[in-house]
Amino acid sequence: MSKVVKAKYTAEAVSGFNHRTAMEEAARCLLCHDAPCSQGCPAGTDPAKFIRSIRFRNVKGAAETIRENNVLGGTCARVCPYDRLCEEACSRCGIDRPIEIGKLQRYAIEQEEVFGMQTLKAPADKKAGKAACIGAGPASLACAAELAKAGYDVTVLEREAKAGGVLTYGIVPSRLPQAVVDHDIAQVEALGVKFEFGKDVKEADTEGYDAVFIGTGLWGTKIPDIEGKDLKGVYAAADFLKAARTTGEGFDPGKKVIVVGGGDVTVDCAVTAKLLGAEDVKIVYRRTLEEAPGNMTEFQYALQLGIGITTGMAPAAVKGSGKVEKAVFKGFRDEGASLELSADTIVFATGQGPEDMTKVVPVTVTDKGMIAAGEDGAAGGKFFAAGDIVNGGKTVVEAVAAGKEAAASMIAYLEKKGVN
Amino acid sequence: MAVKKDLSINYLGVECENPFFLSSSPVGSNYEMVAKCFETGWGGVFYKTVGIFVADECSPRFDQTNKEGLPWLGFKNMEQISDKPTELNFENMRKLKRAYPEKIMVASIMGSTEQEWKDLAKMAEQAEADLIEGNFSCPQMTSHAMGSDVGTNPELVKSYSKAVTSVTDIPFIAKMTPNITNMEVPAIAAIEGGAASVSAINTVKSITNIDFENMTGMPVVNGKSSISGYSGAAVKPIALRFIAQMLQNEKLKDLEISGIGGIETWRDCAEFLALGCRNLQVTTAIMQYGYRIVEDMANGLMHFMDERGYNKLEDFIGLALGNIIPAEDLNRDFKILPKFDDNKCIGCGRCYISCYDAAHQAIDWNAETRRPELNDNCVGCHLCLNVCPVQECITPGEIKWKDGREQVDIALKHHYD
Repeated sequence: MSKVVKAKYTAEAVSGFNHRTAMEEAARCLLCHDAPCSQGCPAGTDPAKFIRSIRFRNVKGAAETIRENNVLGGTCARVCPYDRLCEEACSRCGIDRPIEIGKLQRYAIEQEEVFGMQTLKAPADKKAGKAACIGAGPASLACAAELAKAGYDVTVLEREAKAGGVLTYGIVPSRLPQAVVDHDIAQVEALGVKFEFGKDVKEADTEGYDAVFIGTGLWGTKIPDIEGKDLKGVYAAADFLKAARTTGEGFDPGKKVIVVGGGDVTVDCAVTAKLLGAEDVKIVYRRTLEEAPGNMTEFQYALQLGIGITTGMAPAAVKGSGKVEKAVFKGFRDEGASLELSADTIVFATGQGPEDMTKVVPVTVTDKGMIAAGEDGAAGGKFFAAGDIVNGGKTVVEAVAAGKEAAASMIAYLEKKGVN
Repeated sequence: MAVKKDLSINYLGVECENPFFLSSSPVGSNYEMVAKCFETGWGGVFYKTVGIFVADECSPRFDQTNKEGLPWLGFKNMEQISDKPTELNFENMRKLKRAYPEKIMVASIMGSTEQEWKDLAKMAEQAEADLIEGNFSCPQMTSHAMGSDVGTNPELVKSYSKAVTSVTDIPFIAKMTPNITNMEVPAIAAIEGGAASVSAINTVKSITNIDFENMTGMPVVNGKSSISGYSGAAVKPIALRFIAQMLQNEKLKDLEISGIGGIETWRDCAEFLALGCRNLQVTTAIMQYGYRIVEDMANGLMHFMDERGYNKLEDFIGLALGNIIPAEDLNRDFKILPKFDDNKCIGCGRCYISCYDAAHQAIDWNAETRRPELNDNCVGCHLCLNVCPVQECITPGEIKWKDGREQVDIALKHHYD
């Protein structure tokens, strides 16, 4: 019988390093010239530098490097797809296996909290310009932090009751504990960034600001147009994860849960269901694992929890009287194949789409509804945008990178406008 | 950088932006190298030793010792003083001083006669060096008139120091060899000869490894090898010992010693400073990792000062020196029993093995629970604590006073990394 891992919904799945084990791991680092890991980080977190600091017993310096380069350093340490970024680039792969960069980053940020460090400080000289960031997700937080560091007055306008966006409402806490997100957000707050919650922004709300950043993410849900999609027990991934995050341990995911999709969000939904007490959880994906956008480490974690993964089957119908009882799948490429599974809950993690952004602010959108912004984030006039609402849904670290980039453009714009 | 602390220090009358200097060695042997080290943040350089003698080097010339996969515990170097023309070296020093006036140039020199020492000192002065170091201690020289044999001979140390200080007013630092029982003797001789201070330690005479292919030492030069200098992390304890002994000598207590020996991290720097050094020299760690290590030395030292409320290096220089006391003066009235954390314990039994085979058979092994159990044999030696692989699993516990001894307040160490 296979050994299945038992875990709690809110307990972090992977344990971190202590001082000794962190030193052992840092000692494995080759301290390369032109370190490929640092070149592999979209947000410029500079792992080569912070690992070198740990290696030379300067843990505070390591935390400083991370925080100065990536305001969401604690979060990224948990959710970054390392195996595709810095760790894949690691020279140590040529000897045995890469340095556990994410885990070292986590260690440094944990020590930052232990030491009560406050690395980021707003300059004493304030600038006249006022900026707003719509949405309190990764791109917006990164943008707000950069603007505040430059001395601007920044307000984040958020629809929900808490900051964090997808970090707070869309990721399973065993992968990203809320305390980690809150600690990162506290760094943004320490820069003097103001937050207004419960704010469904309209264009009029942006009037008092010299520059406005839009980082609203993708919260429009996509459920395939199939029979039974409106039955009770059918969820879109974002709604399912948000309901679980806001309810916590008391959330009832149902006994038999099917999650449809092949991304990290799919795994998050399946893990959420399993950790909250579902007896039988299955992931069903229409393509092959090789084609799946999700991280292999995440799929492996799902397997460890005893979650089944079925590929090659696409959803065809949801059946039941009043509530979900069964899900029907057809072969995606194998036309003759069919599958019928009984279920209490079906979660569609088949991608999220944009809400109608033109109703919020005067921006142009692409045919897919994303904001048409340049690589520098410019979206026309005083408006700038970055993150999922521009790129169609990528990683947290890419949102941080894009948010930083947009902030640089906004600063240039504000300087040109003369509100310094 | 979030933390900013003043690392500047006056060393022998010379204002230094920080105490981090390259020691006289392969790491600072031409213009480009020293320029790069200055750009990286080093406060000064002891330029590779210059003599009238120009070295003729062997190949290969380095070896290193390691233990259980950890390389460079110690490092062996057979390279001698500079193999570049004497004039070129002094010309480089002058150009560097002019290009980087705020950085400190120390000319390290080595003569084989009094006249050579005088000539070299004059050349250093003409090269506009801020300080001069006399290399009395290189263990790999090919002549007994130069190198560490000189450093073990107080008469020679004194007369050569006198030769240098008779021709120049530039403060002179005598570099000490550890290949001696009492370093105070040559150090006092140097001061009597007019030296302003000493630097310690140069490398330790060594044979690092025996090569069985050639039945000789490492490195192998045409099937042979030689005894030569050992450096790096392994020699730090030896350096700290000599420095403490010199600074505790009545005649040497006010010396502004330049500390050398296995410095790699800000922590090593803080240790040498806490013992009383006012200047720090580094080579081996640079050979392994490059000049960039100074970044974490500076930043880490600033964080250390910030944490402890120190504003300048003087706030903690020498604080540890008075607490190094003769063994007979230690309080021997108590023992501290180790405390075992059964939850952190992973059941490896290493504490049991070491205690039985190398200490006092004070740990019983509970084979059922796979946990150590302390018995009455314990003398509080803490071998178990030192061998335990788990962080803070075995820690200092109960204090037991020996029968009839006076119980007083004692200072304890609580945290082990």
